[in-house]
Amino acid sequence: MIRHPKHKGVFYYLSRITVVAVLVFLGFKIPSFYKSFERIDVEKILDKSVLKDKKLAVKVQKLQAGKLSAYFFEEHSNPIVSVSFLFENAGTAHDDEHKQGLARLAAMLLTEGAGEWDSQTFNSLAEENGVKLSFAVSADDLSGTLAFPAANAAVAEQLLVSALTAPRLEDSYLQLAKQQLLTALQKQNENPQQVLNNKFKENIFAGHPYARNALGKAEDIAALTTDEIRKYLQDNLTQENLIVGITGDLTKEQAEVLLQRLFGGLAVSGKTAALPEIDFSAQEAEYDIPRESAQVMTRLAAKGTRRDNVDFYPLYLANYIFGESGLSSRLSKNIREEKGLTYGVYTYLSFQNAAVLIEGGFSATPENFAEAKEMLKTEWLRLGQEGVTEAELAEAKKSLLNSFYLRFANIDEISNMLVSMQKYKLGEDFLDKRNDYIREVQLREVNAAARKYFRTIPDFVNIGNKKVEEK
Amino acid sequence: MKNNLLKSVFFVLLLFPLTAAAGLFKAEEFTLDNGLRVVVIENHKAPLIKQMVWYKAGAVDERRGKGGCAHLLEHLMFRGTPKVKDGEFNRIMNENGADSNAFTSYDMTVYHQFADISRLEALMALEADRMQNLQFDEKAFSAEQKIVFQERKQVVENNPSAPFSERLRLLLWGNSPYARPVTGFSDDITGLTAADVRDFYDRYYAPNNALLILAGDIDVPTAKELAQKYYGGIAAKEVYHRVTNNTAENFEEKLQMKLPLITTPKLVENYKLPIYTAVKGSIYDYMVLAEYLGGGQTSALYQEMVVQAKTAVSVSADYHFTAAGNSVFSLSAVPAQGVPMVSLMIALREARAQALKNLTAEKLEKVKKKMVADLVFANDNPEDAAYWLGYMLINGFSLEEAQNYADKIKAVTLDGILKAAQEVFLAAPVVEGILLPEGEVESD
Repeated sequence: MIRHPKHKGVFYYLSRITVVAVLVFLGFKIPSFYKSFERIDVEKILDKSVLKDKKLAVKVQKLQAGKLSAYFFEEHSNPIVSVSFLFENAGTAHDDEHKQGLARLAAMLLTEGAGEWDSQTFNSLAEENGVKLSFAVSADDLSGTLAFPAANAAVAEQLLVSALTAPRLEDSYLQLAKQQLLTALQKQNENPQQVLNNKFKENIFAGHPYARNALGKAEDIAALTTDEIRKYLQDNLTQENLIVGITGDLTKEQAEVLLQRLFGGLAVSGKTAALPEIDFSAQEAEYDIPRESAQVMTRLAAKGTRRDNVDFYPLYLANYIFGESGLSSRLSKNIREEKGLTYGVYTYLSFQNAAVLIEGGFSATPENFAEAKEMLKTEWLRLGQEGVTEAELAEAKKSLLNSFYLRFANIDEISNMLVSMQKYKLGEDFLDKRNDYIREVQLREVNAAARKYFRTIPDFVNIGNKKVEEK
Repeated sequence: MKNNLLKSVFFVLLLFPLTAAAGLFKAEEFTLDNGLRVVVIENHKAPLIKQMVWYKAGAVDERRGKGGCAHLLEHLMFRGTPKVKDGEFNRIMNENGADSNAFTSYDMTVYHQFADISRLEALMALEADRMQNLQFDEKAFSAEQKIVFQERKQVVENNPSAPFSERLRLLLWGNSPYARPVTGFSDDITGLTAADVRDFYDRYYAPNNALLILAGDIDVPTAKELAQKYYGGIAAKEVYHRVTNNTAENFEEKLQMKLPLITTPKLVENYKLPIYTAVKGSIYDYMVLAEYLGGGQTSALYQEMVVQAKTAVSVSADYHFTAAGNSVFSLSAVPAQGVPMVSLMIALREARAQALKNLTAEKLEKVKKKMVADLVFANDNPEDAAYWLGYMLINGFSLEEAQNYADKIKAVTLDGILKAAQEVFLAAPVVEGILLPEGEVESD
């Protein structure tokens, strides 16, 4: 946004003169008439606004407690604290080939009773004290969130520490978790989007653990034992592969004590290892899954770039303009807003530990699908050949700069961001530098990235394609 | 992003009482001369602002045969005015880094943005402009009609259990406008005209039929000044009044449906209760009852059916109310592998009776404690506060009552909750729905 226009062009003054002239000639009825057809001048409104830019101190502090380290964001506006943590390379793709479902089962059991508390007591204690504790697994990692009212810090600490170091893993809860997982596995087949997600991974990551079903394999789940889960926890929940972000109503000293209390009891090291990297490049391939559904749905994949690669910011901006800026993206404007072919079409950059991609998708009724996909391909290649305009880049930069503070709306999200900053090695001062990273990207860099990454069309995996069914 | 919110609005609203904790917000309200009600919620943790305009007009206000009209209008509100040409609205929002979206439900249509506080005046200018000057051409109308058609296909019809949910709704609500889907059926959507949408806009979009919420880094005097500056000049107009639809019926409907692609059976019981205004004092009894019976894994039904008897893999209870129709208490359960539906139904009935028999004052205190323990988080994100107060106020609650949520929950008594349980399970009309995979043996 141009907040302080220094150079007003000749047309600006001419239009002023005209307005004044008209007023002089036609008297007082005119202002409201004129006003009703006046375009809303957003720049003028913002320029005159009583609300000016405000700075938020976004200081990230590094915590150190013995061998443990973490990022910390001090935030005293509410008496609450949030801790995000992640055990790297402990996710579902790291399960042994014949123990698929192990990491997820373990994550499910961590909150089913620990130490002196059975499951019901454990969870009631959390709820009655406003403590939110949950675990989740991705293909790469096991992650967790602990959020609590500052007044209830002691209970919150005890709950997480006991979950991490003394989970009960009672057989009855293991059997229940297995049942729930098997039901979820079966239910996946109901939903065409979930079937597509699974087939997408199978095709794009064929031969790699990323191709697996995220929920596991029915026969493996059925056979998993408490001992295997215990071993998984010993090997994977360690200080060595731990990343922590803390946000909220405490001082740096208090945060370091908290860090030590929460994670100091974990084993120093375990047995985790990175997965083999996938150097994906699209083959312009297309996979069709026959299925009865109201729409045909598709997901696409093309080569992306790592977060620390020099191509990252240029590609990020190119893709933002292309498919990530909501209704303002090129894809939305052309395929949705102009033609009405789909409710939503998007692309985004994905960063898994062992694979970085440009991904995307849309869904459309069968009579629209082919046209929408052709348009997407045409736009894809046009970006590769012609790049973006100066005006598009300027709008994208403004969008990303003006929305910077939105990420500070909620403390859980801040903690997650602190974890990501460490995981992707962005540095403690990332939040201070981020806007400059955006500002400094040049048009030629964006267009070089567009040429490199949008040169050839991506792979598509489609579901519900009626044509395939008829064959 | 936009799509996620748009497509999940129905569920967002249903789930809201469970996810958005209310508490004591720093909130104040005032009304402009043209009738626009304004609520300001101060939260100065970051230089951010949430602007929401809630219109008291939704799918229940559509004329007969015009299903989907409120929702199509919601889409067209992004298509410009004489002062903001088509495409400009979204461009301005994007350039200013505003997270801009809207949703339509039965009782309301809501437009909102989340942005840096320095952008607020631009957001207000645009929102006030489309409150009075909507103008779209045939081309935009035709494109948006196609988009909402695709939205219906994507959000509703791609889900293989959608025919079950829509049929359940029809049985529960009968002739009431609450029986229809918010999206409209596909044929409704394709039959709508630009004149239909314009008619809805003219009848319901006015400052005196709207609620403006400003939540975030703003003080009340500034909010007053800006609300007056941007919205104060919009003329009030006569708006159509909604007819409350609070039928006193007595029915017990059963629906059993087998659908292709369904793999997992499901049991749903929907109990139809009086409109919340008729039972205003007792809605908190229903909320606490739902939490006690089926609010998460510590709840009585979960403990009995999932953990102990192992008849189900999941069970939950929910209470929600509408602005102008009945309120609904729901139970739902998924059977454990190998448990026939008929056994699940018996198990649910017995577990429910047992849970109510076991309820003591001490247990009740624990349930209430858990419902208010995390309210301190409600003041974290200003968006949460805006949604919470907006939802309560547009449904007819006073700001004071909405602010006193915690006290209202704490005041629930054992007698109150047992009386509520009697009203639900012994007196209320009910629709029982059973969803089965194709090929499954009949349950009765």
